[in-house]
Amino acid sequence: MSRLRLGRWAVAIPMSLLALATIYPLLFTVNVAMKTRRDYILDRFSLTDALRWENISTAWNSVGMGRYFANSLLVVTSSVVLLLLLGSMAGFALSQLRFRGSSVLFLGCLAGLFVPFQVIMVPLARIMADTALIDTYPGLVLVYVAQFLPFTVFLMTSYYRGIPSDIIDAARLDGNSVYGVYRRIMLPLGTPALLSVGILNALFCWNDVLMSLVMMPSVEHRTLMVGVTSLRGQYSDDIPTFASGVLIAAVPVLAVYLFLQRQIADGVAAGSTKG
Amino acid sequence: MRAERFAPYLLVAPAILIIVVLRLYPLLLGVNFSFTGDAEQNGLAVGFDNYRELFADPLFRTALGNVGLLVLLLPVAVAIPGLLATFIYLRVPGHRFYRSVYFFPAVLSPVIVGAIFNLLLAFDGPLNAVLGSVNVGPVDWLGDPDIAMFMVVGVHIWATFGMALVVFLAGFATLDSALLDAARVDGASLPQVVWHVIIPSLARTIQFVLVTTMIGMLTSMFGLLFVMTSGGPEGSTYLPEYYIWIQQGQMNRPALASAASTILFVIMLVVGMLQIKLLERAGRDK
Repeated sequence: MSRLRLGRWAVAIPMSLLALATIYPLLFTVNVAMKTRRDYILDRFSLTDALRWENISTAWNSVGMGRYFANSLLVVTSSVVLLLLLGSMAGFALSQLRFRGSSVLFLGCLAGLFVPFQVIMVPLARIMADTALIDTYPGLVLVYVAQFLPFTVFLMTSYYRGIPSDIIDAARLDGNSVYGVYRRIMLPLGTPALLSVGILNALFCWNDVLMSLVMMPSVEHRTLMVGVTSLRGQYSDDIPTFASGVLIAAVPVLAVYLFLQRQIADGVAAGSTKG
Repeated sequence: MRAERFAPYLLVAPAILIIVVLRLYPLLLGVNFSFTGDAEQNGLAVGFDNYRELFADPLFRTALGNVGLLVLLLPVAVAIPGLLATFIYLRVPGHRFYRSVYFFPAVLSPVIVGAIFNLLLAFDGPLNAVLGSVNVGPVDWLGDPDIAMFMVVGVHIWATFGMALVVFLAGFATLDSALLDAARVDGASLPQVVWHVIIPSLARTIQFVLVTTMIGMLTSMFGLLFVMTSGGPEGSTYLPEYYIWIQQGQMNRPALASAASTILFVIMLVVGMLQIKLLERAGRDK
């Protein structure tokens, strides 16, 4: 037994080093964002001597990060609400209701999983341009919904499969219509899954850069991540402000991670084990 | 009650419409585009001209070569989270802490990760400062065509192994612990346990992680490439997705980009099928 224990500690040391390598880049960035330019040039590593917020406010105000932040918030919130609504409606019907063609429709939804955005970028941009949806908020929301709906339908369907059909039969006997069952029974019962899928979708949309780059060409519609990519050119000689801009974009995600880590991991796990 | 018969269809309709119109139909449209011309030949059928041009383009050839590199590095990208998940499952001291720390970069956008590593890997940046203090370097991490792609892939693995780790842990949750106990009683060493118990029992999870990691490498590195190297130096960090974006957005060659898209789609199908085949064979040998 003692040999095994020794082995465990021999494993723990590299694991700790890896944990440090995982965390350090972010701590470094936070530290740099707090420094003055002069400090950073003199010494890359010294701990900042004070908590300075000037760099953050410079990034927020003069680079337009504030505006991009609002754009992202609007698009991501709308996308997530739509994804949850459409995904749970379809998931409920595909898992609990018997109707002709349901398995074909389910496969149709799943087929979307195997079509990455890169493969349909050109025709999709053309469709958006032809329908005057390119460079509009609803256009990008639609692109996000189309991108993440297959995954959402898949997860909601497998979650709702686990709900006993007696519950639905009882609700029907009480005089509920199908829509009533969806609203009064399925939505409340689906809360844990909706929360997990909702957070995952919010992360996916918030973190996206390629779709918003292609679908939102104009500066005033720019999302936050595209804003981060433009920081490099503007602040190549002012690293603390650059680091501050990066932090602004990372803060919401870090907050979500700190408070909702569980749900994110559950969503990822559910997506992999239900397959 | 008559209207009730249509209820299921009405519930599914919005989802299926969006998926068909904005995902499946564009796929066909894109394949169709790839056989038409650009610019003055817009809309005219040109047969395989775009494909010929693609394979003659050194940038696209580099992009395909880099896909080969990704395939070679795939076992590393899967083994790291697999091994770490094994240790966490076997309850190393502090396993809860490790799990949440390792998972953390997975929620960051590639753009943010790329920007942070731009700072760390800059020629006058901290990594070279550390190496300089022990009289090594400086190394031009992102400016040397022989190194840059390895750096970008390394950062991608750093940023995503936490996702695969969570998937592996979900797989471990379904593992029959009696098997492990039996192996322990028989005095099996850790490598023996991994090889004879864990790998066969988790074949499905490993297959899933292999496929999703490969798909991730082929379709979610754009943010890193865009921020860290912009395809450079000397075009050495091109991947098909970056090539598609450049041809469509910068070069105004949508038909050529569509041909590259179609090839990317074929690569993904082949990769998926190959891996499933390989694992089936591995499963039969056991």
